[in-house]
Formats: sequence, structure tokens, C-alpha cells
Amino acid sequence: MRQPFKSVRAGIQVNLDQQERDIVVQLLGQLDDLLDDGLAASTDPLATLVGMSGMDPDAPPPQPPDDPALARLLPDGNRDDPQAATEYRRLTEFGLRARKRSGARLAAAALSRPEPVLLATDEGLALLKSFTDVRLVLGERLELRTDEDAEKLHERLWAGDGDPSWLATASIYELLTSWQEYLVAAVAKKR
Amino acid sequence: MTHTSPVARTPLPRRTPYSGGVSIAPVELEKPDSAQELARDVPWVTIVWNDPINTMSYVTYVFQSYFGYPRSKAEKLMRDVHQKGRAVVSTGSREEMERDTEAMHEFGLWATFRKDD
Repeated sequence: MRQPFKSVRAGIQVNLDQQERDIVVQLLGQLDDLLDDGLAASTDPLATLVGMSGMDPDAPPPQPPDDPALARLLPDGNRDDPQAATEYRRLTEFGLRARKRSGARLAAAALSRPEPVLLATDEGLALLKSFTDVRLVLGERLELRTDEDAEKLHERLWAGDGDPSWLATASIYELLTSWQEYLVAAVAKKR
Repeated sequence: MTHTSPVARTPLPRRTPYSGGVSIAPVELEKPDSAQELARDVPWVTIVWNDPINTMSYVTYVFQSYFGYPRSKAEKLMRDVHQKGRAVVSTGSREEMERDTEAMHEFGLWATFRKDD
């Protein structure tokens, strides 16, 4: 059977065809857009470097994102203490957004190279993290809340039980899940 | 520097109390009361929660690669997350646990930090 990702001496070999790689690149672009809060360009470079959105004590406390999919990418760091959760978000959210976005762009650029596509270790790791983020977003859109939901999705998909848009999203989700298993194995071999 | 003469060991009578200025005299730290001491000794923990999206192999990989845990420990923690709904994946100071939580979020795992109880 074809291995979509395979660890080879020179890196991680990508055995996806052009159309499959286009789908992934498109999803990575959407992930990058989703994480764009419009602030990055206007923030000073030092803040970007240390990953903080600003030390202005008068700035309003950062809130969890309204979009549940985005909130899943940037979850609260503390469940018991709202103040600690706010402080954690103030310190980390900007940097997390920036690193997730730059990872998605690094992976997309690597997958856009001409064949044969070979990923360096950092590109493979960036793609692995981005695959996870894309699956978290799609999983949230598909309303996967429990392990049982995930199993049901699998059954419904194979039975063709759902409207076309649901089926399309669910099949992309399942495809990424299966590809990710190969990517995890390939990246783990490069450690 | 670390050796004090027998004479210096007894406080000199003319020595003035610390006035807030710069001094090369040994710093006498106030002894914390037991409650404060206890609070400082209680470690913080990072918890990873189960979610229906991340795969078992990926979660195991994250625990191995980020924490440097051997495969057996990483797999046990992964099974705890999967079966019990959550697992304590690291222990330490609050700052360390915030850092670990941030790293887990970068990997897309659902993590929180809190004081151990």
C-alpha cells in the first residue's frame, strides 16, 4: 500500500499527488487566515519576538475567541481560576497564534515545491502540528465532542448518511486522520 | 566571603538596623511562616484532557518528543488520558507548568495547569 508520508534518509518523502497536496495547501491557507486576528502587522517587533501582545496594563483583558473552532486552537490554560486563565492568555495567545501561522505557511511552502517533494525535519513537524490544528477545526465544525461522536462519524461517512456538504467535510477529516498516522510515524523516526 | 570570623558572628552593638540603603552585610531573610512555606512547596501540575480528535499515536509522540518520556511512560499517560479522561503529564513550578501548557497548546492538545491538591 502507498505510504502518503515516509521517512527516508534525506527527510520525509511526500507521496501525495498534486491534487491531494493542493487540498492540504488550501486547508493550511484557511488555517492561517482563521488565526489572523489582524493585530500582527501593527504590533511592535519586540512584542512579536517575546510572543506577547503588549504590556499595556490598561488594555482590556483578552477573552477566549467567540468561534468555537478558534477557541479549540487557543483554549483556556486554567479551568479553576478565571484570573489565571486571563493572565495565561495575555502572555501566550499572541505567540501561539504567530507560531501556528508561521508553521502553517512553512508547511504549505514545502508542499508547493515541485516533485519529488521531500520535507526537512522542521517542515515535517510543522506539517504535523498544522494537520492537528486543521483536524481540530474540522472536528469542531463536525461537532465531534466525544469519542462516540468520532466513531459515529466514521459509520455515517461509510453509509453515505448526510448532506453533501457534511459528507465532503467528513471525508476530508477522515482523509487527514489517516494521512496523519503516517506523518506521525515518519516524524517520530526523525527524532 | 563564605567564612565569617568569630568576632563578626556576634552582632556588633553599634551596628545600625537595616535602613533600606545599600549594604554588604549578609541579607537576613525573613523566615516565612509555615503556611507560606507550604504553599511554595506544593507543586503545580499540567493536565492533558481527552478529546475525540487527537489520535493515540500523536498524543504518545507528543509526550515522548516534548517531555522526553520513554515510550512506555508516554503510552501509559496517553491511555490514562483516553480512558480516564485526563492525566497529569508534568509537575513543577507554576512558570514551568504554564510553559508546558503552552507547548501542549502548540501541539494542539487540550491542556491546563493548576496547583496540585
